[in-house]
This record gives sequence, C-alpha cells and structure tokens, in this order.
Amino acid sequence: MHTRSKPWKLMLTGAISLTLLAGCGTSNNAETNGASSGDVVVSKEDFPIVSKPVTLSLMAPDVGIQNWEDMAVLQQMEKKTGISFKYLNVPKDSFDTKKNLVFASGEYPDVFYASGLTTAEQMNYGEQGILIPLEDLIEEYAPNFKALMEENPDVRKSITAPDGHIYSLPVVEYSQHWYRNPMWYNGDFLKALKIDKLPETTEELYTYLKRVKEEDPNGNGLADEIPISSVTVTAANLRDIRTWLLGAFGIYDDEIYIDDVDKVHYTAMEEGYKQYLIYMNRLWSEELLDHESFSQTAEQKKAKAQNNRVALFSDWHAYMTKGGEPSMEDPMFAPVKSDMVDAPAISKNRGITTGAFAITKSNKQPEASMRWVDYLYSYEGALFFNKGPEGTLWEYTDEAARIKQYLPVPGGVEMEDYRATLTPNYGIPAPTLSMDDINKGLKTDFDLWVEKETKEKLLDKGARIPFPVLFLTGEEQTEINSLNSDLSTYVKQMEAKFIIGAEPIANWAKYLETLKKMGGERVTEIYQNAYDRWESS
Amino acid sequence: MKGKRQLTRVSESHSSNNNSLGKRIVQNWELYLFMVPAMLYFFVFHYGPMYGIQIAFKNFIPSKGIAGSPWVGLEHFERFFNSYYFWDLLWNTFSISFYELAIGFPLPIILALAFNEVRNGPFKKTVQTVTYAPHFISVVVMAGMIITFLSPSSGMIVRVIEGLGLQPAAFLTDPAWFKTVYVFSGVWQSTGWGTIIYLAALSGVDPQLHEAAIVDGASRFKRVLHINLPTIIPTITIMLILNMGNILGVGFEKILLLQNSLNMEASDVISTYVYRAGLVNAQYSFSTAVGLFNSVVNVILLVTVNKIAKRTSENSLW
Amino acid sequence: MITAMKESRGDKVFLVSTYIYLCLALTVVVYPLIYILSASISDPQAVNSGAMWLFPKNVTLDGYKLVFENPKIWNGYLNTIIYTVIGTSLNLFVTLPAAYALSRSDFVGRQLFMGLILFTMFFSGGLVPSYLLIKNLGLINSMGALILPVAASVWNIVVARTFFQSTIPKELQEAAHMDGCTNLKLFIRIILPLSAPIVAVMALFYGVGHWNSYFPALIYLNDESKYPLQMVLRQILVLQEMSAETTGAAISGEVAIAMNSKAETASLIKYGVIVVSTLPIVAVYPFLQRYFVQGVMIGSVKG
Repeated sequence: MHTRSKPWKLMLTGAISLTLLAGCGTSNNAETNGASSGDVVVSKEDFPIVSKPVTLSLMAPDVGIQNWEDMAVLQQMEKKTGISFKYLNVPKDSFDTKKNLVFASGEYPDVFYASGLTTAEQMNYGEQGILIPLEDLIEEYAPNFKALMEENPDVRKSITAPDGHIYSLPVVEYSQHWYRNPMWYNGDFLKALKIDKLPETTEELYTYLKRVKEEDPNGNGLADEIPISSVTVTAANLRDIRTWLLGAFGIYDDEIYIDDVDKVHYTAMEEGYKQYLIYMNRLWSEELLDHESFSQTAEQKKAKAQNNRVALFSDWHAYMTKGGEPSMEDPMFAPVKSDMVDAPAISKNRGITTGAFAITKSNKQPEASMRWVDYLYSYEGALFFNKGPEGTLWEYTDEAARIKQYLPVPGGVEMEDYRATLTPNYGIPAPTLSMDDINKGLKTDFDLWVEKETKEKLLDKGARIPFPVLFLTGEEQTEINSLNSDLSTYVKQMEAKFIIGAEPIANWAKYLETLKKMGGERVTEIYQNAYDRWESS
Repeated sequence: MKGKRQLTRVSESHSSNNNSLGKRIVQNWELYLFMVPAMLYFFVFHYGPMYGIQIAFKNFIPSKGIAGSPWVGLEHFERFFNSYYFWDLLWNTFSISFYELAIGFPLPIILALAFNEVRNGPFKKTVQTVTYAPHFISVVVMAGMIITFLSPSSGMIVRVIEGLGLQPAAFLTDPAWFKTVYVFSGVWQSTGWGTIIYLAALSGVDPQLHEAAIVDGASRFKRVLHINLPTIIPTITIMLILNMGNILGVGFEKILLLQNSLNMEASDVISTYVYRAGLVNAQYSFSTAVGLFNSVVNVILLVTVNKIAKRTSENSLW
Repeated sequence: MITAMKESRGDKVFLVSTYIYLCLALTVVVYPLIYILSASISDPQAVNSGAMWLFPKNVTLDGYKLVFENPKIWNGYLNTIIYTVIGTSLNLFVTLPAAYALSRSDFVGRQLFMGLILFTMFFSGGLVPSYLLIKNLGLINSMGALILPVAASVWNIVVARTFFQSTIPKELQEAAHMDGCTNLKLFIRIILPLSAPIVAVMALFYGVGHWNSYFPALIYLNDESKYPLQMVLRQILVLQEMSAETTGAAISGEVAIAMNSKAETASLIKYGVIVVSTLPIVAVYPFLQRYFVQGVMIGSVKG
C-alpha cells in the first residue's frame, strides 16, 4: 500500500510543479487555494492546523543530498498540519543570486525558509509590502515564538525593523555559545613542557610559545615546531585567531563592539588594537606566529598539525585539526589578558540570526503559515526538525525527562549524512530554536567536557555579546557599504604590514590620520546611532 | 605573393566601384538572409535587456524593478572615482593586463608555428593534446595548485629553487611577485588552447608557395618567417585588437583566490574591488556603474588600436 | 614529402630546436597534469603536506567512488551531452553564415552590422533584465534557457569572419558568380567544405563553452533532473566544502562535525572532479587535430 501511494504522490507534486512553472506562480496558487481559502479554518492550538488541505510554495536553499519531498520530517509534518508545500529549492551557494532574481521577477513564493534575508532586504521588501508584517500573526498564531520573545526581550528588539514591524523570524541558538571557533592547545606539547597551568597573561603566553619554539616538545630533534598557525580563507587573514588575541587588549570584535558604558568602538582605531599589533609583531619577528599564516590554506595548516608541529590553533574541535579521535587532552585556549586591562574581553555568540523565515504578500494562508513555523520553536518541533522523527535516528529512553539515545544508522552511512536525508535543517539557517534539551542523553563524554571547558574558560569569565543584532536604516546601510569598501581594505592591508614589520608601528599616527580621512569616525557614529535606537526600543 | 594579392584587391575594388550600390544589394540579397539568425539573436538577447544599463544611474531595488527604481545620477560613479584606491585599482588592472598580453599573446603563436613544423604523428598529437588540457582546470584547483607549488615550506617549485642553491622569493606574499605568478600561471594554462586558432589559420597556407620557395633554396626558418607568419598575420592582428578591447576585463576569481593582505597592494583590481563591495550586500547599481566605466575605457582602447591597425595593415575589425 | 630529403644543415638545426622547444613545453605542462591525476587518488594528507609531489601516495579511490556513487552524475553527463550537441549546432548555424556575410567586402552594410554586433561585446543589460527576458519567453526551467541566450558569441563571429576573409581567395567567389552560382549555393557547396578548420574551431570553442557552463543552469533551472554535469559536480563540491565556511563564525556543532569528516574527501574530490569533467572533452581534441594540418584544404581545392 505504502509503496504504491508514493509514486502517485510524486506524480501529483510533479504535476503541480509543472503547472506552477508553466504559468505564473502566484495566480496559480490563488486558483488552487481560491475555493478553499474562504472556508479554511486555521486552528490556534491544535493539529491539523487547517480544516482543509492547503498547498503553499516554499523557497529555500538546499545542500542537494535529498529531495525535500522525500524527507520524512516534511512528509510527516504535512500529515500533521494539513499544509503541504511545493518546494522551490536552490543550491545553497547560489541562493543569494536566485533570491534577488525572484524579488526582481515579481513572482514570489508564499514563504521564504532558511533564506538568510539581510536586514536591508527585510526593510526594503517590507516597506513595499512584499514581505508582510508578522507581529500580529505572532500574537495570534505563534504561542511558542511569543513565549520565546517574552522570555528573551532581545529577540524582539533584534528582529524589529526601524519602522516598528517584524518582517522575519530568526534562528535562535542559545545553546551554542562560541562567537568564533575556539583556539586549542596541543596537549602533547603542554605535557612535554610540563605545563600544569595554562598561560593567563600575554607575557605568559609569549613565554610558553617561545619554549615551544626552542625546546622541541615534539621530540623529533628538529626545531620544526610552529607555536601559532593561522590560515587564509578567500581574502581574509588571521580571522580565526584575531578575535581571541584582541580580547587580551580589551577588544571584543575585529570590527565594531560596544563597551560597558554603551559606547561603540571601531576596532581599527583603538589603542588596544595598536597594542595587539605590537604584540603580534613580536610574535611574528620571533617566528612564534607561522610565517605562512598569510598564504596557507586550511588543509596545509592541518597537514602541519597532523605532523604534530603546531602548538596553538583554531578549529571547532582540536581533533579536527590535529587528526585522530576526539581527545580531552587538548585543552581549550583560556583568553589571556595584557597589562592594559583587568580581565580579557571575551565574546559570546549573539544567538540570533534574523531573516530565517518570512511570509510574502502572495501567501493566501499567512495564519496557517505562521502556525506551521511556530511549531519549530517548540521543544517538540525543534527536536523533530533537528533530529528527525523518533525511531529513525534516535529513540526515547525516558520521554518525560527528555532523555534519548541514538539508534544504529542503517546502510553503513555516516550519521550526519543519514540525518540530512530525514530533515531539511542541515547546514542552512533554518527558523528554529536550539536548546540543550534536544541533545539530552545524546551527549558523549567529550561533548560534556567541551561544555565544561566553554563554561569555565569563557562563560564564567564574563563572555558577552560584542554587538547586538540590529537594523541599520537604508541610508545608514548605504553609507556603511560605501565607507567600508575602502576602510576594510586599508585596515586589512595595514594590519598585515604592521604585523610583519613592513610598516613600523611608529607610523601609527599617520595610519590613524588616514582612517579618519576615510571616514572611520563616521562608522562609529552610524553604529552608535543604530545602537542607541536598539537600546531604547 | 603580397604584390599579387594587392593587385587582385585593387582590381576588385575597381570593379565593385562600377557596380551601383543598389545592384550590389540586390545581387547579394542572400547575404542579408545569412545575417538574420545572428541579428535576431543579438536584438532579442542583447539589445532587449540593454535597458538594464540605466541602473548604473539609479539605486536599484529588485522589487521596484529597473524602471521603478529611483534615479541617483552619477552617485555610483563618484563613489568609485573617489575611492581611496581608485588609481591603484586602475594601475593594477592595466599592468596585469599588459603584462599578460606581453607574455601570453606571442607564445601561442610561436607554439602554433612550431607545431606546424613537426611531422604529424603520435609525438605531435601528444604535445598538442597535453598543452591543450590545462585549459579545463577550474580556477579553484588552479589557485590551489599555485599555492601548493609555491608554499615556502613544502612547495615543489620552491624546493627546486632551493635545490639550485638559490634563495626563493616569497612568491605568495611579496607584492612584487604577484603579477608574475598570476601571469605565468595563466600562460601555463592557456597557451596550448590559444594555439588552436592559429593552427586553423595555418591550415590555409598554400603548399605551392612552400614548394616554390624550396626550389628557390629558402631555408625552413625563412619559409616560416616569410610564408607561414604572413598567412596568419590577419588572425594575429584581429586577436590583438580583440584583446585590447578587454584590457580592463581582468577577472576576479583567480585573483581573489590568490589574494592575501600582504600582496593586496599589487593584486587588488577593479573586479575584485567590486566583488568585495557586492559581498556585503548585492550592489547591482554600483557594479553596473563600474562595469560601464570599464566598457567605455575598453571601447576607447579598441577603437584606437583598430584605427592604428587599419592604417598600418589591411586588417581591422571594420 | 620531397622537402624532407632536401634538408640543409641549417634546417636540421632549426628542426631539432623546434623539437627541443616542444619537449620543453611538454614537460612544463605535463607535470601539474600528472600532479592532478595523482592527487585525485592519493591520501589527502600526503597531498596537503607536500609529501605527494609526483606519483600517487597511499592510493585511495574514495574520491571517484563518491563522485560516481552520486546517482545524478550519469544523468548530468547525458544532459551535458545533449545541451552541448544541440547548443553547438545552433551556434554554428547562427555564426557561420553571419561570419561569412561579414567577410564579404561587397556586402553593403557590413560596417553597420559589425558595429551592432561589436557593441554588445561591451555593453550588456546585466543579469536582472536577462532573467526577466528568459522568464517572459517562458524558458525558465527549459533547455532553451541554456542554449538560446548563448546562441552566438561576438568573439567567435569575428574570428570566423577573419578566417573567411584571409583564407578564401576572392577569385573563387568571383568565378562562382560568373558561373551563375548563388551566394547560398556558394556558401554551402564551396565555402563550407573549404573551411573545415574554422568549422572545427568554432565547434570546439562553442562546444567547450557549453560543456563547462553552469551559471545559466544555476539561474534558470529548477529541476535537478535537468542539471548538466557541471552543476552536479558543483553540488558535490559545495557539499564537501562547507567546512571552509565554518572557520570564522560558529555554526551548529553537528554540521561542523559532519563537515570535518567530509573535509578529508573534499580535497580528493576537488581533483577527481576535474578529471571526471575534463577527460571526455580532452579526448575529443585529437580527432579534431586532423583539420589543423597545413594545406589540408587549399591543396584539395586546387588539386
């Protein structure tokens, strides 16, 4: 029975997609829903959401592992809610291009899912009525999301556009605290050099790195150790380690951050940034910072680390760079401090990404759409979209306490690959809430250890969000874009030159002068205004 | 041989002068038919969307459409011209292009002439096919290989240089080396592909000319110089003109992949600058404005070079 | 060949240096090619650390396995072949007659046509209006969207025109006209057969363009079943290389772990994909080479 119904369904969706593509998407929807839209009743708390089946179109990026029609999560969701979707998927790497074309073409999907709508897009398209305001719908049809906003007032502040409307729902990720991938010490070196207390100041860190360089901790008789190594991703250098070292000089982020008295700082013009450059120059000139940091790829850095040559590096987990199995022997870097501050500045993940879900004006069922997405902000729905239905990837061992265990993966594929065939929420910024309870019982000892390291070294040491998620107005955005295209280029080049000593730090005043000429102070001003607006909203 | 050609040309133009314009049009009516598919294509797919150029003078918002977006005059052009880096970008773009032209333009011609001298057989086939293959390597892999081969610690080329007892340069980070790395890797990749056009042109060489020259006792080298080369001169000229019309068209992909903070002063070109601007927010209007500027400069260059070519040889685009 | 017998010493020196030059070119080019082949079947760690520098090290076929296990790949090959064959035929149909007409000095108005065509080489309306055009023509998600917008290229028309201009003797055309041969007959019966080399070049240039193209597919196709090979390969690559994006901003832990496990094969696949997509088109080239032999057609006409 089951197998027989499937081709049918496929043919049906095929037919729908054909008509959709042949004609004009919007008018077609109006036709299919037209008869029912009058008498479709949208339930405010029960499932199914709609009294009669409803079909909507959904645009989303995808990674190409599985067709969305065939995903267990979406199929069951359709049964549960009565809402079925025609999926308009675009490969993830070209999604932005296609998104712009869709907005330009005048034919919009009913909803945008995991679409990463920028704040500028939300404002522009919101003002023109292409994206509809969501605040009233949230009030009426999104009990879970409403509760979430009441619990975390910052969420509402961060997703509200300057005109007072909410045009998109966010990804809320309060269980992931890292602002950037952490840095990790190579535990083998710590042991070989008999270090039992990790460096706490920039001087101690320097001393340690110097010892790595000189005392042959990998014991191969060669001075081939590389104390710190960084990589170059397309046109960006030192990005993986910069934030962590800037913290030692009281700076939270490499571009813009807010201090404890609500004052915005533009990093490149700060005294702390100058001290950072001096420190980095010292590391460079004594070859403690890998001289290939400005040109090597991530793979090349990995190859060095796997030959046990690198002492301190950044990655999601240490073993991903060092190779081998997850190990608790490589401790997380604990932010160090310099003489100019009492404690290091430590950044924490903002936890909110706007633009994950939006409803367009062509949607005839905005209420139902809102109820549909609201489910993803409940524990049950978030779990469902994160891990798939119970009995596939996992099962409950104690449902009341939300404790689970993993089931064996069929077919010998990797667990994550299997997961990607069950749910769309794989590698895309999907609207959902991530919470600790989802992984209850599923965490390994290693996961728990990483959590402990994070808590002790970052969270308990005063980690905070460097700059909130907020909206710039249209004019502000244009001005920032224009200023930044020169500023960021100049800052990037000068940072590299100061560090390798091609530009002596004595020229700092001249550098500041140039930045001012390019409008560095204006950047601070614009962000200060935006921040004040956010703060008072 | 040249004399003979010119002679026919003169007599031909003489005879065509005798025909009236109308008669020539009627006589060649089929040639207009020949143009129909091409003109149809260019009008529908190129002139049709041409109205999009106006967004260079507008603030384009996709949902408002091209016609509906507000005018901003020359704002985007001013932003570009007033950029701190404008002159650097222009200089880098020009110098990379001319460097590439100086090295990359003659090489395929020489290689094609060499191929032409070698007897047909497995050797020729192999060399031809092998040199042609790099054309298909994607930019990402190409850049990856450049970085690998030039890595100061493990790069193959660096090791060879060290093996020769020389001090290798910081190829990847020294601004002075960027253009050379860029141009020579490009030459490596495209020389074989570039020969194809000249090989086709060389197939037009009249064997009788060679036989006559052999009888006259001309050496192989002389025959290449005086028979083969002149045959492909029209193609060479046209290729040169076309290349001049693309001077500011240095692409961003490969440069971006080879770019880092240290070599940036030599590696940042117009297209990478525009790419970065677009990363923050799709800035259609700005990139269209810069594109328009490029086009205008390119057209001026092309027209100039074409004029020179017309004066000095019989070959030109129009 | 008589020429071979009459070689003087100078000629021999010249010939030998030509061979040496070609051998040099061969070595310079062949090394990175071998490197790519080797890298596509070597342990990625050996490749990245520089331990693999010529021949494969710690051979693994994982990269190819991953590429060919993807069910979409064969469909992609098929689509690409279809698009390439149909697209190239259309290209030749549009390009050759136009190029020939433009090559005729007695063609009144060719300056105008040339100007109109050249103008489009520099000025274009950009992506958005082109997309709207394709949409209004109803070509979205169809083969037409991949073929029609690239039905001709200015560059190629100019190149073909130059060929006709410089290799077709004027006398030929005049003689044909004297015989009462129409332009159409002249073109089909005489010019085209004489121009095998340029037809081969055009077919190659356009064909390679279709073979390598992915952007129109990316913009205009919605159906994965219609994806050409390059799109399928891109999908595989993107999937493998998502790890690169995670350096920098933090994303979810599960994805980071998944991507790490894929990072190994990512670099393998990067090289494998080149081989998979390039081999067929490289294999075509030797068959076209016979058209690029000196005197291949002129001789046949006069003889």
